[in-house]
Amino acid sequence: MSNLEIWLVIIGLTLVTILMRSSFLMLGDYFPLPERVQHGLRYAPVCALIALVTPELFLTQGAFNLSVENPKLVAGLAAAVITLTTRSMIAAMATGMLIFTVMRLLSAAA
Amino acid sequence: MAPLLIGTGIWGLVTGVAMVKVGLSAAQAIAMTLLVFSGTVQLASLPLIAADAPLWVVMLTAVVVNLRFVIFSAGLHPFFRSFSIARRWLLSYFMVDMSFAMFLSRFAEAPRDERGTTEQVWFFLGMSAGSWMAWQTMSIIGIVLAAEVPAHWGLEFIAVLALIAITLPMIAGKPALVGAVTTGVIAVVAAGLPLKLGLLVAVVAGIAAAMSAEIMLERRARNTGGTS
Repeated sequence: MSNLEIWLVIIGLTLVTILMRSSFLMLGDYFPLPERVQHGLRYAPVCALIALVTPELFLTQGAFNLSVENPKLVAGLAAAVITLTTRSMIAAMATGMLIFTVMRLLSAAA
Repeated sequence: MAPLLIGTGIWGLVTGVAMVKVGLSAAQAIAMTLLVFSGTVQLASLPLIAADAPLWVVMLTAVVVNLRFVIFSAGLHPFFRSFSIARRWLLSYFMVDMSFAMFLSRFAEAPRDERGTTEQVWFFLGMSAGSWMAWQTMSIIGIVLAAEVPAHWGLEFIAVLALIAITLPMIAGKPALVGAVTTGVIAVVAAGLPLKLGLLVAVVAGIAAAMSAEIMLERRARNTGGTS
């Protein structure tokens, strides 16, 4: 892309993003949501975050990879177990990153 | 909160490096990170910029990736609806996955007349300001150091670990669990859909599943209550 096109992309992304972030904050009074839908929105955060995580763990370059040699899956599951047992985010992240790095280096060496 | 900021910061660093590697000038990369302030949108646009895609394709992709912000915006509306337009623009700019998730998991049960309190605004801005500073500082460091950081350290994975550690404790109750499992499975199965549509499909299906589970549990509780 040319310099000018990249600037246009940046301006376009800025507008699209702020308009969508502000959508209901600005216009929600004119488009009231049913009580049921509003209630269901409380599940949105968990779902949005889970949806970002699982493809990262279970897919390797787009292919399903349910193997003990998948570093992201093993490290992610370890972090999940530590989160649920100790509730320590730091411990979960440190252990996960350690397992991920060791497994990655081992598979690179093999 | 601190681990989240580490995750956000490293994610920002990676995005900063990626923007420069794709061919943006330092000025363009800094403008993009300050103005757009959305890792998902920024990262989603980079392959398209590299592939010389038409402008409308980049915009359409951004719209789809951003659809979750519409959901977030609807979720926050009951709390911030009575604020001035300028204030709502400001809150919109700072809306990120983390601030929304932390905010709603804390205040979702607040009764109707206790929405939009000063405490809530400052909680939201506090969460957001932390994310903003971690993201922008590390992004700009990434932009400046782009040439020095090897892409294969896999440092961006720490963001995924941070998401795991923050999300699991938020899954409270059976409907939420049903929603989380449904979302997780569909996000993997539908990951191949173009334009990151799989993300949206998974979130919508997960919310629908959680709501159905909730209705079924209510019905069952009512039935057993009637027969006993």
